[in-house]
Amino acid sequence: MMLHGLHVPLMSTGVPAVPAADVIVAPDLAWAGLILLLPLVSLVLCGLCAAFRVRSKLPAVITSAALAGAFVTSVMLYLNYTPPGEVVHLLDWINVSWGSGAIDSFAANFSLYIDSLSLLWIMFVTGLGTLITIYASEYMEPDLGKGYARFFAGVSVFLFAMASLVLSDNLLMLYLGWEGVGFASYWLIGYYYQRPSAVAAAKKAFIVNRIGDLGLALAVYLIWVTFGTVQYDELTTVLQHEDWRTSFEGWTTSAIPYLLMLAAFGKSAQLPLYVWLPDAMEGPTPVSALIHAATMVTAGIYLVARTYPLFMLEPTSLHVVAWVGGLTALLAATIGMAQYDIKRIMAYSTVSQLGYMFLGLGVLTTYGAAYHVFTHAFFKALLFLTCGAIMHGFAGQLDLRKLSGLRHLPGWRITSWTMLIGALCLAGFPFTSGYFSKDAILAEAFVTQGPGFRVLGWLAILTAGLTAYYTFRVWFRVCAGPAAYEAGDEHHGDEDHSGHFHPHAPRLAINAVLVILAIGALVAALPYFMSNQADERLVGGWVADMVHDSTAREGIPGFHPGDPAHAGGHHHADGHAHGHILGMDPHVAMYWISGTVGMVGLLLAAWLHLWRRDHADALRRWMRSRVWIGWLPRAMERKWYVDEFYHAIIRAPLWILGHVCHAFDRFIIDGIFVDGLARVPRGVARWLQPLQAGAVQSLAVVMVGGTMIILLLMALFMQFGWPGGSI
Amino acid sequence: MIDRLWFLLPELIMLGGAIACAIVGLSRDAGFRRTLPAVVILTLIAAYAGSLAVYQTPNLEAALGAGAVALPWLGSVVIPMVALIGTVLVLVQAGFVDRGYESAVASGTVRFDPLRSARGEYYAFFLLSLAGLMLTCEAPDLIWLFLALELTSLPTYIMVAIGRSDRRSQEAAMKYFFLGALAAAIFLFGFAMLYGATGTMELVAMKDVLVARAADTGSIGSLATVGLLVALIGVGFKLAAAPLHLYAPDVYEGAAAPVTAFIAFVPKAGGAIAIMLLLSVTGWAGEGGSLPPAVLVTLWVMSALTMTLGNIGALLQTNVKRMLAYSSIAHSGYILIGIIAGPGAGFAAVLIYLLAYGLGNTATFSVLAGLRRGGEEVERIEDLAGLRERHPGLAWAMAISAGSLLGFPPLLGFWGKVLLFIAGVVSGQLVLVIIAGVNSAISAWYYLRLIALPLTGSPTGSSRAVEGRRTFGPRLAGVLACVLLIGLPLLLEPMLREVDAAVRDVDSMRVDMTSIEPPASPGDYDLPG
Repeated sequence: MMLHGLHVPLMSTGVPAVPAADVIVAPDLAWAGLILLLPLVSLVLCGLCAAFRVRSKLPAVITSAALAGAFVTSVMLYLNYTPPGEVVHLLDWINVSWGSGAIDSFAANFSLYIDSLSLLWIMFVTGLGTLITIYASEYMEPDLGKGYARFFAGVSVFLFAMASLVLSDNLLMLYLGWEGVGFASYWLIGYYYQRPSAVAAAKKAFIVNRIGDLGLALAVYLIWVTFGTVQYDELTTVLQHEDWRTSFEGWTTSAIPYLLMLAAFGKSAQLPLYVWLPDAMEGPTPVSALIHAATMVTAGIYLVARTYPLFMLEPTSLHVVAWVGGLTALLAATIGMAQYDIKRIMAYSTVSQLGYMFLGLGVLTTYGAAYHVFTHAFFKALLFLTCGAIMHGFAGQLDLRKLSGLRHLPGWRITSWTMLIGALCLAGFPFTSGYFSKDAILAEAFVTQGPGFRVLGWLAILTAGLTAYYTFRVWFRVCAGPAAYEAGDEHHGDEDHSGHFHPHAPRLAINAVLVILAIGALVAALPYFMSNQADERLVGGWVADMVHDSTAREGIPGFHPGDPAHAGGHHHADGHAHGHILGMDPHVAMYWISGTVGMVGLLLAAWLHLWRRDHADALRRWMRSRVWIGWLPRAMERKWYVDEFYHAIIRAPLWILGHVCHAFDRFIIDGIFVDGLARVPRGVARWLQPLQAGAVQSLAVVMVGGTMIILLLMALFMQFGWPGGSI
Repeated sequence: MIDRLWFLLPELIMLGGAIACAIVGLSRDAGFRRTLPAVVILTLIAAYAGSLAVYQTPNLEAALGAGAVALPWLGSVVIPMVALIGTVLVLVQAGFVDRGYESAVASGTVRFDPLRSARGEYYAFFLLSLAGLMLTCEAPDLIWLFLALELTSLPTYIMVAIGRSDRRSQEAAMKYFFLGALAAAIFLFGFAMLYGATGTMELVAMKDVLVARAADTGSIGSLATVGLLVALIGVGFKLAAAPLHLYAPDVYEGAAAPVTAFIAFVPKAGGAIAIMLLLSVTGWAGEGGSLPPAVLVTLWVMSALTMTLGNIGALLQTNVKRMLAYSSIAHSGYILIGIIAGPGAGFAAVLIYLLAYGLGNTATFSVLAGLRRGGEEVERIEDLAGLRERHPGLAWAMAISAGSLLGFPPLLGFWGKVLLFIAGVVSGQLVLVIIAGVNSAISAWYYLRLIALPLTGSPTGSSRAVEGRRTFGPRLAGVLACVLLIGLPLLLEPMLREVDAAVRDVDSMRVDMTSIEPPASPGDYDLPG
């Protein structure tokens, strides 16, 4: 599209032409588009299933086949991948220019940016998507013929949006995916739309996310205005060039990271925008597992990792990321300790673990963050799915006080033991995957120089202990101890004739997925031990390789705010000095410290929730009855009053403002301006109506008369000049 | 001369098709007569293919004689557009001319009498009018332009008359014909003055004379200016532009819905193209060229008046066809913005807008043509209330097309309007664009009713009596047009490339005689690599 002479003012001028980046444009990889296409096809087919009221499991079959296809495509893509990355142009979306200058153009196409970071993400997104869809095929059974197709259509939308978010080669397509996953999340949280709480939760998720989305929209705009492009390859080229970087000084380069951060905190549920995620558990459990634990909520991590070079331009922003992440981790963990709804505990644990990932990003270990995303995706999905199996089998029962000793019940053994594996990983039990990925972050908090990073490190270690405690509180309560249960209130044909409740144990689809995920959660520790291909000085194995090849490595040599030896974003095995903890190298020390802290948390949980359950209640009663400590359990149970605080500070004033605006709109705007103004054209129309009498003669008179008037006026003007000079 | 005829290949195909229609329409075999729309569609496809062949001719401008036509590439876009919208239009017409007579013949009460049958000539006139539109964009001189415009219009007078046999359409046809003749007299008068002022009929030669005169004396002279003004105002009749717009509501209301769909688009497109060609004589496309102030002011006033009067007129209507007639007047006002914006972006925007308008307009009328209420056409807006309950497809077609006409993103009409407004702003007509924006807001009043009533309204007593016609054509037309309105924005970029290349002026051709290929747009695939 060429719009001749259209001038758009740009704040930054003098940006030199962007030369060809070192990324290869690879049209021969066009089949990679299947990752986007297959979920779309599945969406259409699920829509057809809904339209034709298919009563079988066809939608689930379609969706899992499509997602499996996308997963296979992703793996093929990985096998065909050569660093540093490739751009696969699918189709033109927006490609405008209005001049010949370098920034007189705007291009954002449907192109895929295949580098190791996007490959890492897309592989676990599609892989977990496939597994969870298979799980959901059984889990959603009670809705067969009702919402079944709608559910899988939502999952397909989500996968399409998530794939475009992860694979896009520009920020605008990422934005499209970003909004798309938000929409899919809204769709699926509100799946049980007859339930008011589900509708409220869906709205809450959507609205809170909008705050973050505003940040992303502004960030994309500022990036374009400042750097003249929103395409990663061009952006990277611009940022890597020493001379140009200095020309980008200005408020925009400082503002961009904070806006991106806002977006990431919204999507990934960090302070102050985390409040939507616990409520999002109103959705079906597979959705919680897929979207609100494993994949969508890590989009914020992905965004920051992808735009890491922009954060490096403003070092303070990373300190903010680290602190927000660390504090969120602690806060969410304390809330999680005091909840009774197991799904909600897992939700707070997700918020907390996401906090760890942001902490990792903030302390300059994108590798640690990415690795934790990777391992967390497995074990948290696993935990959610086991919770879902329990909820499914016990008619919606999620209260850990009303479930006990499940592992003794027939048919619940797989659920119990896979849940244990997930819990061990989450608790950071030595030599599980969570242990390695968490330690990578914790150690770096002590290594990297930054304001109060040491304090942050200790807080994170404390959080690790709390994590172990609340995780095993769930497991010891629900799966261990004497067998006893109380059914929930969502019955679907699980009573016998006498009205007695029988839990129905999960069958093949659920159990198989649980086992696969449990194996995955354990195996996720292995990449840590794999040798590094890219750079022999690196540790961290395969994941480190994947991060190293991407924009998440610090793109800018010599622009490091902290230790120059950490210019890799993950540390080198030799040749640099660290800080010390307790006289040891932090990485070595951390294995001991976090392992010990985790064990302490675990033993505490075992004492209070397995061996002497009465002590837990006694302790709670004792604490609540003491003035000096009584506020603590109360605040933790009431989630630190954050919802109430937001209600008072934000919602109530907005509610009042809304009503004032409504009154103003109703009486002033509508009453005077709109209705008043609306009367004007119609009044004119009534006044003109007689002209339209319809007789041919009068029409002809008006035609000729009008022509004559115009000609006369022009003649006068030409004779005596134009009013007000020239036109 | 042979080359010149080759250039007219699409129009010759249309003529052949018209003759074929006239013959097929006389056949005694009813099944054979029923193939008429198919004949028309085949003709349009053939004409499209012909245009492809013509515009791929190497050294096209040499074959024409250098600079013989002001906008030599215009046809490369206009002819496909005419073929496309013509196809949709003919589907709207399917099975409605002579309906009563044909059913009488089918039931055996009457024997088929070729003298009483009008179907054949109706489709022949349909094709001839479209051929006139194609010829308009290739006019090298004023005579050709006049004849082409009249070839576009004359068949429409007859189509209004024979479209249905009642007094209202006879009256409409008479009005249309008399006022059309008056307008033709007005613009012919302007043509005469232009000839008097320059001594030539050829547009390009005329431009050379006027540019030379402007270089000498600072203006193109008062006779030429007045001539141009009179011609523009007269051609404004085809557009239904103020002050020659008043016929539109009466005629559109009186004609049958399928005919209205036709006359709301075809003469309008012809008028817009004729104005582009006429304005080329001022040499404004050349280096440092601009419109004479009087012409600019006149067009400005025409544009502002047209859209305002059109929209205000539409507000009070309860008759859908009358409302759409007024709104089509308003659309002419928007089109004039693009014309004022000038060669290049402005003309390109006009062509895209014409496409969007043509499709949207045809779709709305296809819905009206697809409905009946007690054997009569559905005309009152209230009759559409709750249409969705029994005819969801038609209700959605109405909503989508009205949305596109209103300029609702992401439909094609939105992009058309955006391009027009951008072109207007870029050419410095900010005030006019603001007026157009206000007008768009006013138009929302009645377009939103067209969207909301069929979709969300509850059926009333009178709207319950509305039933769908059995005929397949109008529904197919509605679906096709709506699919295009939704789908074409995806092809906006290639379309704009084509259109940008098509509105290249003969002046830029002269600079660039050696290369016929359109200049590569800088936006093309500039991925680094």
